[in-house]
Amino acid sequence: MATNGRRQIDEDDEDIIDVDDSSLQNNQANYAWEEEYKRSWDVLQEDEHGSLAGVVNSLQQKAKRKRLLRDTDPIRRGIIRHLFIVIDLSSAMQEKDLRPSRLSLTFTYLEAFIAEFFDQNPISQIGLVGTKDGLAEKLTELSGNPTEHIRALKLKKFQESYGEPSLQNALELARSSLIHVPAHGSREILVIMGSLTTTDPGNIHDTIAKLTQDNIRASVIALAAEVQVLKFLSTQTKGTFGVAMNEGHYRDLLFEVIPPTAVTTTKAASNLVMMGFPSRSNESAATLCACHGKLTLGGYICPRCNAKLCDIPTECDICTLTLVSSPLLARSYHHLFPVENFIEVSWKDAGSTTACFSCQKSFLSPHKTSIQIQATTDAGRYQCKLCEKTFCADCDLFIHDVLHNCPGCLSQPRPKTDPRRAVHNGAGTPSHAPVVPSPLSGGPSRMILG
Amino acid sequence: MLFEIDGLPVYFPYDKIYPEQYAYMTSLKQTLDAQGHGVLEMPSGTGKTVSLLSLIVSYQQFYPEKRKLIYCSRTVPEIEKALAELKRLVEYRRSCGLQESILGFGLTSRRNLCLHPSVSKEKKGKVVDARCRNLTASWIREAAQSGQDVETCNFYETLENNDVREMVEDAVYTLDDIKEIGKAKNICPYYMARRLLAHSNVIIYSYHYMLDPKIADLISKELSKDAIVVFDEAHNIDNVCIESLSLDIMRPTLEASSRSIGQLSERIEHMKQQGSEKLKNEYEKLVQGLQDTLQARDEDLIMANPALPDDLLHEAVPGNIRKAEHFVAFLKRFNEYLKTRLRVLNVTAETPQSFLRHLKEITFIEQKPLRFCAERLSILVRTLELNNLDEFAALSKVAALATLVSTYDKGFMLVLEPYENDNATVPNPILRFACLDASIAIKPVFERFSSVIITSGTLSPLDMYPKILDFKATVQESYPMTLTRNCFLPMVITRGSDQVAISSKFEVRNDPAVVRNFGNILIEFGKVVPDGIVAFFPSYLYMESIIAMWHEMGMLTEAWKSKLIFIETPDAAETSIALDNYRRACENGRGAILLAVARGKVSEGIDFDHHYGRAVVMFGIPFQYTESRILKARLEFLRDEHRIRENDFLTFDALRHAAQCLGRVLRGKTDYGIMVFADRRYAQQDKRSKLPRWINQYITDTSVNLSTDMGIAIAKKFLRSMAQPLETQAQLGVSLWTLEDVLAKQRAQKERLEKAGVNTVHQQLYQQYGAAEAQRLIQERASGAVYMDVN
Repeated sequence: MATNGRRQIDEDDEDIIDVDDSSLQNNQANYAWEEEYKRSWDVLQEDEHGSLAGVVNSLQQKAKRKRLLRDTDPIRRGIIRHLFIVIDLSSAMQEKDLRPSRLSLTFTYLEAFIAEFFDQNPISQIGLVGTKDGLAEKLTELSGNPTEHIRALKLKKFQESYGEPSLQNALELARSSLIHVPAHGSREILVIMGSLTTTDPGNIHDTIAKLTQDNIRASVIALAAEVQVLKFLSTQTKGTFGVAMNEGHYRDLLFEVIPPTAVTTTKAASNLVMMGFPSRSNESAATLCACHGKLTLGGYICPRCNAKLCDIPTECDICTLTLVSSPLLARSYHHLFPVENFIEVSWKDAGSTTACFSCQKSFLSPHKTSIQIQATTDAGRYQCKLCEKTFCADCDLFIHDVLHNCPGCLSQPRPKTDPRRAVHNGAGTPSHAPVVPSPLSGGPSRMILG
Repeated sequence: MLFEIDGLPVYFPYDKIYPEQYAYMTSLKQTLDAQGHGVLEMPSGTGKTVSLLSLIVSYQQFYPEKRKLIYCSRTVPEIEKALAELKRLVEYRRSCGLQESILGFGLTSRRNLCLHPSVSKEKKGKVVDARCRNLTASWIREAAQSGQDVETCNFYETLENNDVREMVEDAVYTLDDIKEIGKAKNICPYYMARRLLAHSNVIIYSYHYMLDPKIADLISKELSKDAIVVFDEAHNIDNVCIESLSLDIMRPTLEASSRSIGQLSERIEHMKQQGSEKLKNEYEKLVQGLQDTLQARDEDLIMANPALPDDLLHEAVPGNIRKAEHFVAFLKRFNEYLKTRLRVLNVTAETPQSFLRHLKEITFIEQKPLRFCAERLSILVRTLELNNLDEFAALSKVAALATLVSTYDKGFMLVLEPYENDNATVPNPILRFACLDASIAIKPVFERFSSVIITSGTLSPLDMYPKILDFKATVQESYPMTLTRNCFLPMVITRGSDQVAISSKFEVRNDPAVVRNFGNILIEFGKVVPDGIVAFFPSYLYMESIIAMWHEMGMLTEAWKSKLIFIETPDAAETSIALDNYRRACENGRGAILLAVARGKVSEGIDFDHHYGRAVVMFGIPFQYTESRILKARLEFLRDEHRIRENDFLTFDALRHAAQCLGRVLRGKTDYGIMVFADRRYAQQDKRSKLPRWINQYITDTSVNLSTDMGIAIAKKFLRSMAQPLETQAQLGVSLWTLEDVLAKQRAQKERLEKAGVNTVHQQLYQQYGAAEAQRLIQERASGAVYMDVN
């Protein structure tokens, strides 16, 4: 298993994002249930000098690249997302089976999650709902500002947990906000549930039926065990359902929500969304903002009605125009056309390249490496299928997770027309090959999105 | 899919097959080939019914004898399930292009099948039977035909006037289908099904039609001898046998029968005054020993003989009860005698012989006329043309007692108890006529039919059933469950977190420390297990006392925090409401605990699949109440007759019930659940060895001697890992076979057999036959010819 572990393809995508170092460590530690099957001593073989260094290196690389190879077919995804996160704040969250406790781990992960979510989905919005003692409470309203949510998560009063959760109340609360969301955005709920029970005022199956009707997708991460009603909720609303095995798995489940989900093809016709690109204004004297009614210095001016707003992305409070900036849009874009997975180069073909195209780090030469080592390790070279440039494992990761562009393809003098885009233009992907405005141009302009 | 087992083409209506299903079919085939009986144990939820049906139907259709299949199941829902499966199978066979006519249907009581507008409204089976009889008895119909104003049943009349065989096409009919046909053609579904029994290929009905002599004689008499009889869910078959020959008589029974006797004599007087010839005719015929001619056709014979046909005396009714009034006086005397016997103050147990001797001393009633009691009563009832037979139930019970007690002298026991149970203070005397020997009732079945298959999810230890039912099994097999993931987790919790050993042993069962530890198990599991938990207690009595103690200790309040609690009661309606609410609580995420009793209704026949039962806890070992006289007598009998030690039988009986309870949680391979054995004694080898093999194989050494906290830790981990998505792809080849896997397995087996050589002549023959067929199969497969028609 270990030798072909790298080629293993799993459906669930595990994003390694270098927001903090702990994530990498978490991913190096395998899940407990995987460890039961692993015979690590079979993998380790000494080289001719009796050293394990080479093998250990290669194992480390493998672990790094263990990022599950994602599906790179361009499909239509809803990149304007509206996500409510329902957090269980019941007494069950004080359990310490996830260290340090379910609750504090959840809050730590959620902070990272929110940051990452907005990084990957800049024109999306999040809201937080907590449920405890049979009630549900909105911690934050739907908004596109990560700092606001993170601030709320840090508030002491939200971190208290007691009583029993009420799933129905929480879902109804989230639903009441989500039904007002415009049709072009996706409506999602993510439930993080530590409790095995829920105390509801009415029949929860009615609420689930309503969610299905309103096209709201509810995904569930349970922290203890599979609860029927949660599973039912997620299958009915076409969401995902996961039970966290341990801390690392919990994080993976949570971060799986970050890539936007495919849009169901029920609305076949692409509709146009009007968007404004507001300009940033710096003022010498404070003026009232349209969103909070507070005196602020500077903000964004809506190109349609000239109202001043504090932050983007948002919807203009005056004229309801969606306001974004072009860099945000550009960043959302990579979900639609992800960089294709690099293929692994075998030792046999490794002779032709000596250094990583991106960082210029030199590769191990196949001629200088013993057969024995070659049998247990891999060549550490990963090749882009389009430009046929070779990269090291670290760059491979960086390109796919952060850069979202292949330096090899971009550096070619006359970029080939991307065959993928050509093929898929007719097949449900945005029909307008979008002209992404240069990130520098901040002036008012309009663009259309499919 | 279509594959061959030793030359028999088997049509299996699914694309994939479990390995144990294949093994099961192979054993089944061997049993049928050898014309012998079989005991087969296969875990619940692994498709036992469909394997059974598909093999036997294939067998039946492939060989020219066309042996009839009689499939006996326990409850109506199970019968319906089997019928649905059969229907599917036959449709599949048809879709494979087989031109065959298979007639299969189920039979159930009139209550479930009746179409008559007013009769079908009745709730009680007995009342429906009696009212049906009032409309269909031959003298009623005669009267109606002769123009009198008597009500008859339309549906029955149409049936009588037509040939049933012509009206019904060959197909499989579920119970609903039978009713539909009845409605469409305006015929009585019940009698239609009964008349079709002789023509059908597959019959699915309840045990009682086969085992209870009162009914079996009516219904199963005409079935051919080479039929294949299958008892499914047969783990309780010995009790069914015993119950079918046992009787309880209490004071109200005797009083009701006194009244009936009074009615009889009034009626006789009435008839005499009218100068009817009927009584005279009856007497004449009895003198000539022609009581058979007096026996009516199936419809009229409601008071059937309680004894087995082989044990009946085939001679004329003795002189002293030939005259109707003599017989009534005779009954009266016997009834009065029973009344005096019921005036006891202490428990007495006696054999049938001593009962008869005492009876003779007091009342001068001989054994011989007593034997004819039931028969004579039914003749009299017919002669008197009585209606509303349900009123005569008590009297027929007394007559049945008379016949049984004088027919059998071995394997029976009479117990007179002044109190109904140990705790009662008001005397309510009861005369129990108990059958001790399960083999008596089932003996005719084994003797008559060449292949009888006994199968269930819990039959271990397998050699027990042949012993207590007194037959020789050609094949005895228990199949393990092949799983890609260990989807159930049996664990033995022997002590609480405080290390006090827990047990339901009589001496310690009410010890507060034990009760508290039992309670803690419930609370702790309630906290970690999602949705439903079912907990079983050994008896109602113990359940009540333990719940009371939990309440005092405040443990129930603690358990309430995580789950709602429902309790099974002896009352069926109450229990079904509790069950209903339990299910609702499981569905909407509230979670619930159901407290039930190991020998109660919930433990038999109600499935707790998926979220309805994520964990099942067995508190203690469900031993029978060992102070019961009847049980003691039975144990003594088993020891003397079958050399089964008391302890062995008690453990066997307790563990089959425990296994049955715990087996409720797992219904199929996609399901998962925890099984908790909470008693110190389960850790002992003699207890564990009596559990079914499929449960036993997953009890690891680490999970044998756990304390509550260790158990909880294991359970938590188990629940987490089971909640991970299951991929069917991973199961393929391991716990799920495609056609290729089956063929590969067959090839490998053949090679192995060839290598190993053969030991006995029988095996040699068997293998040659098999090998030759296998060779042909492989050749045909290479040419691709054999599967063309399937795919």
